[in-house]
Amino acid sequence: MATEPAREWSDEQLKSDDLPKKDIIKFIQDNAAHSFLNEHKLLGNIKNVAKTAKKEQLIVAYSQLFESKRFKGTEPVEEVTEQVKQVKIEDKPKEAKTEVVYEGPPKYTKSVLKKGDKTNFPKKGETVSCWYTGTLEDGTVFDTNIPAAARKKKQTKPLSFKIGLGRVIRGWDEAILTMSKGEHARLEIESDWAYGKKGLPDSKIPPNAKLIFELELVAVD
Amino acid sequence: MALDMLSDVVQRCQALPVDSYTKEDHDVFMTAGRTCIEEGNSVQVLSIILDEKNQDMVSCMGWNLLPALIQVLLKKEDNLPQCLGIFNHLLETCRPKELLIGLLELLEQDDPDTIAESLHLLLNPLQKVLLRLGSRKASSLGMALSTVLDQLAKLPLPHTKEQEEDDVFSLCRCCTDLTTFVRPFVQEVRLNLLTSEELSESTTKMTIGRDNDREDELRTELLKFCMKTLSYPLFEVQLKDTDSLAVSPLRNFATEILNTLSAIRESITSLVYQPLLKRKQVPGFLEEEVRYPQESLASVAHLVFVHHLAADVFPCVFSPVFSLRCNMEHVCPLLSRREETRIQKGLELYEKSLVRVEDGSLPVDLMEIKTFLTLPQNLVKVMTMCQRQDLRSKGLKVFQLSIDKFDTEAKHKFFQYMLKTSHHSGVEGYIIKNIRNQINVALQSGDGNTWFQGVHLLPLLRKVLILPDGPETDLLENLDRLMESLNLLRYLIIRDKVTENQTGIWTELYKIEDTFMKPLRVGLNMSRAHYERELHNTMDTKRSKDKEESKISVLVGGENLPHVTSESQIQVCHCLMLKSCSCHIYLHLYGINDGQTLMCLLRLYTQLYTRLT
Repeated sequence: MATEPAREWSDEQLKSDDLPKKDIIKFIQDNAAHSFLNEHKLLGNIKNVAKTAKKEQLIVAYSQLFESKRFKGTEPVEEVTEQVKQVKIEDKPKEAKTEVVYEGPPKYTKSVLKKGDKTNFPKKGETVSCWYTGTLEDGTVFDTNIPAAARKKKQTKPLSFKIGLGRVIRGWDEAILTMSKGEHARLEIESDWAYGKKGLPDSKIPPNAKLIFELELVAVD
Repeated sequence: MALDMLSDVVQRCQALPVDSYTKEDHDVFMTAGRTCIEEGNSVQVLSIILDEKNQDMVSCMGWNLLPALIQVLLKKEDNLPQCLGIFNHLLETCRPKELLIGLLELLEQDDPDTIAESLHLLLNPLQKVLLRLGSRKASSLGMALSTVLDQLAKLPLPHTKEQEEDDVFSLCRCCTDLTTFVRPFVQEVRLNLLTSEELSESTTKMTIGRDNDREDELRTELLKFCMKTLSYPLFEVQLKDTDSLAVSPLRNFATEILNTLSAIRESITSLVYQPLLKRKQVPGFLEEEVRYPQESLASVAHLVFVHHLAADVFPCVFSPVFSLRCNMEHVCPLLSRREETRIQKGLELYEKSLVRVEDGSLPVDLMEIKTFLTLPQNLVKVMTMCQRQDLRSKGLKVFQLSIDKFDTEAKHKFFQYMLKTSHHSGVEGYIIKNIRNQINVALQSGDGNTWFQGVHLLPLLRKVLILPDGPETDLLENLDRLMESLNLLRYLIIRDKVTENQTGIWTELYKIEDTFMKPLRVGLNMSRAHYERELHNTMDTKRSKDKEESKISVLVGGENLPHVTSESQIQVCHCLMLKSCSCHIYLHLYGINDGQTLMCLLRLYTQLYTRLT
């Protein structure tokens, strides 16, 4: 079966007062291409659209939608590339407006080794700094930024990066948001929220590896 | 004779204060001194130079003897120990700035052998002189490094591992010497940074302000040096891994450069991820782009991701997608370069970044980033226009790899974009083949993949099943694309049952007849007529001229075509192929109405095509 949206309402049903404008608007907004909505002035908050659009207009738009088949995903490529060209060169992509979908329980566990100040929690987009040591389940240390000699710790800096933006493995992005400044914790991250099926080729991290980190959150922005 | 002249001027000057030496004194000393050395009288010159009474004069004029001394030392003639003795004494006694100028002048040679030997001989003395400059050494070091690297650039590069082992032109030895040369300066910067950190913890910075600037200058010169070497020679050569070459001077050199960067507190991580990090503006005398040249940063990324150097200091916590995004910023400009070394390194870095990412994981919103659009365009240029066949192949392989990493919505958008912008029949054909694969996956798995079925698929199909220029489309030029389009159509008709119509093809078929099949028929007719004419003309004109022996013979209706050149024969073959194809298609597609017959005939067509090519 083709997955074109079904034309539920007959002309009579559309004209009937039992069918509120909002329902028609919602249907069209859900199924029509962006350009179609734009042309028919059906973009934006449903309440506002209902105020400005007449029922007759909506009925016409509904019919035209099915005739022209300008459904979502059928936007001409020219429009797409034009929009794309107009996007300024940004350092990072616009945050995708994803619905909050419950994906299941978090794929890491945290045990606090030393409490933080319980006041300064990092927010998404802020810069955090930390000392860390990463080991595999068998105890192999695959990465650390803590120098072996204690005196050398003065010369090295903790790792700094922006949190919550997908720049680091997901386990870190999620766990660090729950840590406060000064907190020292042990994280066990399942491979799905680490390097997954691929692992890190040519390094110590094999596929499907669970990673264990001891992490000290030194600074928050 | 010369010795007498030298003794005279020396004796005369012994009695005079330094600033009253005349120009003549200088000239005589220089000429006589050089001649003595050249004539082999170094023993006497040495004793003059070492004499306590002459030290003022030596410190003032001694450096002029350098050219003659170096000649002897390079040629390894007799009197070597005495000349060395003179040389060493001068290095300690003469004014550093003058020695520096003298030594740098001597480095500037033209033929590779002399360049290599001079570098080997003079780097150590140069280092000694610079160390004598104390806190004023930064700009002199900069000048010295600049000259040395200019000279290094004149040496031929080793390409194979045998060449690197043999090191006939001594480039590897020079690189090793260079590492030794910079070591004390790196150490100085390292200690300075440590000291200023400790001081800033305890006291105010007011008193050390001026020294800080000088230390910064030294650090900046070393940074400049590293950035330059990352570009040349390191980005030009192919580093060999430990399996193929256990001891590689070039790999060691690369490692040393990365170590130097770490030592002067230039974080390797920041350099690699720099395109996407907002670096704080460093006030100084270098602009950001000059300070961190694009190619040098790409070189660092390549060393880290492809050769796994600095693996100990490089964090394993960044997400593969973030690493990919950063590396794409490095790769994109490399793929638009002419030099094949750059293209190769770009492809290698891109490939290594892609393999870390899981298939089907890149979301569509990444396509809003400009590089995600420009990089494939540059890649297409490599795939279609690069001179080297292996790079074209690799380009294609990496292209497919990049497609595999997009999720279905992103693939959908990407395919539309490439069909619109690649302007190359082969690439378009390749994309269409990918579309067919995606439809196949969607139909097989039934996992609700909405982007390659039904409503969403139709716009894509409409862009595929179309003749770009209507009936006037040049069929030969668009052959790759057209063949894949027909293959796709054939696939859809066979695979998608009329009763199910999951792809929507059956409801579209009547439109496709109008927009695709009809114009194709018309176009084929036109081509056929055109090529028949061409064929006649070719055979007429060529038959009348005496041409070279043709290498292939063409049978037409049982007769050999006489006196036809290979070039024309190729033309003839094309004509014939198209003629046969078009005849068949013309006859069979004419008046088609139902899909089943269309299916049979398309199968026939495909068989025909395979037989002819």
